[in-house]
Amino acid sequence: MTVGSLLQVDKLTAGFGLTPVLFDVDLELQPGELVAVIGANGAGKSTLLGALSGLVRLERGSVHFGDRRISGLRPEMIVASGLVHVPQGRRLFSTMTVQRNLLLGAYRRRDGRVQQDLQRILQYFPALADKLDRDAGTLSGGEQQMVAIGRGLMARPRLLMIDEPSLGLAPKVVDRVMEIVKTINQDGTAVLLVEQDVVLALEIANRGYVLENGRIAMSGAAADLRRDPAVRKAYLGV
Amino acid sequence: MSQFTQQIILGLLLGGIYVAVALGFSLVWGILNIVNLAHGALVIVGAYITWLLFDRLHVDPFLSLPVDALALFVLGYALQRGVINRVIRAPLLFTFLLTFGINLVIVSLVLLIFTADFRSVTPSYSGNGLHLGSVTIPYIRLGGLAVALLLAGILWAILNRTRIGAAILAVGADRDAAQLVGIDLRHIYALTFAIGAAFAGVAGGIISTSQSITPTAGDPYTLQSFAVVILGGLGRVSATVVGGLAFGLIEVLGQSAPGLGSGYAGAIAFVVLVIVLVVRPRGLLGRLA
Ligand SMILES: Nc1ncnc2c1ncn2[C@@H]1O[C@H](COP(=O)(O)OP(=O)(O)OP(=O)(O)O)[C@@H](O)[C@H]1O
Ligand SMILES: [Mg+2]
Repeated sequence: MTVGSLLQVDKLTAGFGLTPVLFDVDLELQPGELVAVIGANGAGKSTLLGALSGLVRLERGSVHFGDRRISGLRPEMIVASGLVHVPQGRRLFSTMTVQRNLLLGAYRRRDGRVQQDLQRILQYFPALADKLDRDAGTLSGGEQQMVAIGRGLMARPRLLMIDEPSLGLAPKVVDRVMEIVKTINQDGTAVLLVEQDVVLALEIANRGYVLENGRIAMSGAAADLRRDPAVRKAYLGV
Repeated sequence: MSQFTQQIILGLLLGGIYVAVALGFSLVWGILNIVNLAHGALVIVGAYITWLLFDRLHVDPFLSLPVDALALFVLGYALQRGVINRVIRAPLLFTFLLTFGINLVIVSLVLLIFTADFRSVTPSYSGNGLHLGSVTIPYIRLGGLAVALLLAGILWAILNRTRIGAAILAVGADRDAAQLVGIDLRHIYALTFAIGAAFAGVAGGIISTSQSITPTAGDPYTLQSFAVVILGGLGRVSATVVGGLAFGLIEVLGQSAPGLGSGYAGAIAFVVLVIVLVVRPRGLLGRLA
């Protein structure tokens, strides 16, 4: 295990049925890093996040988070350890208010600073401040994505995993969301970002992994991946 | 007072019982996606607890309702955690078979313990009532309606004002997303079923004051709860209240229609049910999908 890693994934094989979706995935992330995972539709990116957060059963391999082995733990225990997953498609509780959604993010917390954190998180998303009493399902796509990220932050994660935050959003809104993701990272939370928008993802990330058919095909500094001919051809269309 | 007003009052009083019975059934269906065929058995266990406390210790039936709630809560939690959680993601047919089986087991146990004799709970005030013109409204029925509305208020408050309620609704809405905020599914499943059972127990306590009870007397209430949920809609406490009261009204008004008698009560109600299913499948107040 690499010294000082926040997240260390070794030879992870996982899937849903008889044949795995992910094969021998190795991945590592340092405290404070912003790491991107890119790959085509169906490559297994969401399955990877699901395996890390305990929703998808591992067949082989191990996941260490901080100094603990978390593979095999139930999802709520993984959340409690500080590894938090913002799922693809937002998955808000749409008939509940924005405030209730955010507070549910802090479901496992027993400290008394939840209300204080709610105010702190609203500073990332000023647009939500006057929509706290609205049902989450009535918000725009961009606002819903902000609630989803905010709900994740309410758990006080050490590592926030965000799955395709740009999905279905207008380009301007995408830029705004990416900016927020970057700010969250600069404020000290490590981020594992799964993103279809490869240009944007590699722009804000420190490092990246390319997932192809369930295997890590390439990894390296984001700047190097951006220049890599194979990446450019496959994901940037140039 | 006119005949019609009388019928309305009687219908609402009967509806109160349906509300009480259906609240827990609707909660379990809406959140856990289980159509609990053992619901009527849980109701009748509550009825027997009230009868036992009344018969042996002369406890007023309304005072024994908290005991019904507590006992059924514990039974419900254990049932869900021990048995039903094992098939929670299985196809509907499995939960049907399982809860049907649980119903048989509970009814048989009740039969062993209490025999098939008719039992009734008759406190000193059971014949008294409120006189409004020509009608008398039995205090017991009025108390039943009040308790039913109180139960609805309590359930609404739990779901909409507490952290646990938020977790219950979250699990009902999206199990994966609920897990990702750190909710322990097995605990919330068991808790939801326990609350549903506790409400069934209280409903049983109320029922014991207005009809005689036998081990199988709870069975019709499963079907009636089902009808109330179809009528009112799933996913809202207010829908169950409206559905229950409407079902009571339809039953009473229907059997007083010219040419029909009390024998048609059930049939009329279910005809209305089928019409609702055809015309408005999500019920009077139910949420879409
Ligand atoms: N719940 C599931 N049950 C069975 N198979 C699944 C399930 N979820 C995903 N898969 C399969 O696993 C493979 C990888 O899917 P995954 O969602 O991880 O891809 P992805 O890289 O996130 O794609 P996208 O960019 O479309 O989100 C696909 O073949 C998909 O059909
Ligand atoms: Mg995906």
